[in-house]
Amino acid sequence: MAFINGCEIPEDLLYYIERSQMTWVRVEGNRATIGATDPAQARAGTLLFLRVKPVGTVRARGRPIATVESGKWAGPIIAPVGGTVVEVNTEAEKDPTLLNSDPYGRGWVVRITLAAPAELTELLSGEAALAKFREVIARDQIRCERHHP
Amino acid sequence: MPEPPTAPPPPDPTGKRILILMTSGPTDPDRSYAPFFTAALMAAMEIDTTIFFMIHAPELLRKGAAENIPLKKGGTLKHFVDMALENGVKLVVCAESLRDLCGMTGADLIPGATVAGAPTMADLALDSDSVLSF
Repeated sequence: MAFINGCEIPEDLLYYIERSQMTWVRVEGNRATIGATDPAQARAGTLLFLRVKPVGTVRARGRPIATVESGKWAGPIIAPVGGTVVEVNTEAEKDPTLLNSDPYGRGWVVRITLAAPAELTELLSGEAALAKFREVIARDQIRCERHHP
Repeated sequence: MPEPPTAPPPPDPTGKRILILMTSGPTDPDRSYAPFFTAALMAAMEIDTTIFFMIHAPELLRKGAAENIPLKKGGTLKHFVDMALENGVKLVVCAESLRDLCGMTGADLIPGATVAGAPTMADLALDSDSVLSF
């Protein structure tokens, strides 16, 4: 577990960090769970709205798989890898602040079956991910306060 | 915020289109950010989204203007302009309003804004599934 400016970055996940995106991916067999990272939720602020593409939706890598809105940010969550939606976190759709309070747990967003597991090699992990997080967190002056208010 | 390294994902070609008409300028900051925020959200939902700036609204897109429009909720309008552009919203400026009401030219506009005449607005309105006005 690493912390950058108070932002928790678990070391057992894969990350997609491009443009405004800071998304995590947890792989279990042929399935991937996708969610927003701690610095992503901190930058967005308290979330008011989450809508996830319905079960059965086929998404290519790089296409929006969910939409989130806070009082100061609105944007897509981009599919870091392609696949078919098999489960939506309906609890988080009802209470999007779960993405703020527990981004790696109850605040997960969507589960997909992987279309092309080779795409996982495009994601970041370990020191490469941490270096990119350091860059974005410094650039956007992000500070996380879940663990260190 | 630096320029995004890659273009935003294109809207779903089989999806919906929205046109937002914006008429207010920098003299009314309270009216300034909702069109950008609404457009950003819609673009994130893969709706092909265009804001058409007419009357005094082209002034919002003058280089250096948005960062000098403070908002009651904090920050400046630039945050919302950047968000709209990042999500792929198209910013189209009325040529007549730009020249005759705002005394500006296309060179005065921020990168990402394009200039078009009233016939383009008519086409955009007719081709859209819905038109919102602010």
